[in-house]
Amino acid sequence: MSQTNLEDDIKAPVEPLLPIEKKLIGWSLGIGIALLVVLITVNHFVPIKL
Amino acid sequence: MSDIAIKVSEPLALRARLNEDWLAVVIGLLVFAAALASIGGTDLLGWAVTASVYTDPAKALSPVAKAYAWLGGGGALLATYAALLVVLSAGVATLGADVKKFAIAFTVVFAIAYASWILGSYAHLAAVTPAEQQKFGISWSLKLTNEGGFIVALLSGLVIANFFPRFAAWLKEAVRPELYIKIAIVILGATVAVTAAGRLNLASSLLLRGTAAIVEAYLIYWSVVYYISRKWFGFSREWSVPLASGISICGVAASIATGGAIRARPAVPILVSSLVVVFAVVEVLILPLLAQTFLWHEPLVAGAWIGLAIKTDGAAVAGGGITESLVMAKAAAEGIRYQPGWILATTTTVKIFIDIFIGIWAFILGYIWTNHIDKGPDRAKPSEIWQRFPKFILGFILVFAVSLWLALGSTSEIARALPAAAGEANVFRVIFFILTFFSIGVLSDFRKLWQQGFGKLAAVYFVSLFGFVIWVGLLISWLFFAGFKPPLAS
Repeated sequence: MSQTNLEDDIKAPVEPLLPIEKKLIGWSLGIGIALLVVLITVNHFVPIKL
Repeated sequence: MSDIAIKVSEPLALRARLNEDWLAVVIGLLVFAAALASIGGTDLLGWAVTASVYTDPAKALSPVAKAYAWLGGGGALLATYAALLVVLSAGVATLGADVKKFAIAFTVVFAIAYASWILGSYAHLAAVTPAEQQKFGISWSLKLTNEGGFIVALLSGLVIANFFPRFAAWLKEAVRPELYIKIAIVILGATVAVTAAGRLNLASSLLLRGTAAIVEAYLIYWSVVYYISRKWFGFSREWSVPLASGISICGVAASIATGGAIRARPAVPILVSSLVVVFAVVEVLILPLLAQTFLWHEPLVAGAWIGLAIKTDGAAVAGGGITESLVMAKAAAEGIRYQPGWILATTTTVKIFIDIFIGIWAFILGYIWTNHIDKGPDRAKPSEIWQRFPKFILGFILVFAVSLWLALGSTSEIARALPAAAGEANVFRVIFFILTFFSIGVLSDFRKLWQQGFGKLAAVYFVSLFGFVIWVGLLISWLFFAGFKPPLAS
């Protein structure tokens, strides 16, 4: 089952990226990078305490 | 990490995973409760076997508590085996497993796995400092500490999987890395809490940085890997979602949860899972050694990096254990002795933070797919967040919270007795780690996977992992943890 499915799927026509997928990728990356910048800033002002 | 060889329907796989989660919680809490009894003066787990560094095999094993010294090493080993056999057999019976087959297979699994652990404690492998080498009368050592036994267990499993496949298949009933590591993680809550109580400031700092791990895994890793899979390699959405989740979030659990959320065919996340396990093995063999070589002077960066780079729970947390032993060994050789537990605690914190959001991410993907991509009557329900939540995390949180309360909110007598109790529980955490490593090895038949035509899937994984995930993880770990060291051992 698995072998046939994987080989068939690889040979199948490529599904183009839908607008909703592009939105998902773009928004995830955008929010992720923005949040990381915020967290890195917070990290700068709230360093690890031993 | 699901069983590679088994093909199951998605609802069955999900149900089994959830039951396995609850079983791990029950067994983990059982060990924790038994360990806590020692605070009241009743030592219920002191008979558990522990291995020390040795040159004379007769001195390798002993019971963890001196009160049970009369048992001897062999007696403690037998008692530990018998206790695990009874508890785990009863446990897998609730999962619908064949108890007789499990008991026989578990006996062999335990024997080989623990023998690997004993071998890993041999002084020529484990002794770290010149003083230890002098103590054992040896002139050289690989300096792996006795936790190098994890690597020996993994290699033992790999040999069986790749050279004795029939034997590996025979062991299948007792090769349950997901169950073993989940139990270990529940028990680990006590050790993490005791460590955290000792250094509350650092512990709270680690929690803050766990948030960065969530952002990195779900929002950055996932979207980049999904794009690579879809755009560069031309995989369909059905393959790309479990693949991106497996590579980015937490391996098998994420693959199965998100594959289910988008209604992928059952075989898809299962096949992706097998790939995740193989790469996890490769990472566990390579990354701790790289961390020891290049990051030994930044132990917390090393711990966080392992948590961000290795994607299955078992391999990540156990990899954190190996990294801790290797980094501490290297530091000790340079004359720096860190308190144990901090590197592993960092890896575990990072991993657990990532795990917690699986259910929510699966729901978000399910919502998008059912409302915008595969539109139909079958809409994602909010209850799926709970259904797909990894329940063993609740066990970890409960054990952590109770231990922290006992350490900080109870009497000073209890607080003083808690580390010893947590230490007895930790003996079982180590044993479940050993079983996990051996099981991961047994499931990793590289030749079989290659023959199934995994090349293109593996290429996505390889490009994403070694071209992106590992390095971004290292950068983020460095940005958040560089310059901060674990406390020194007194």
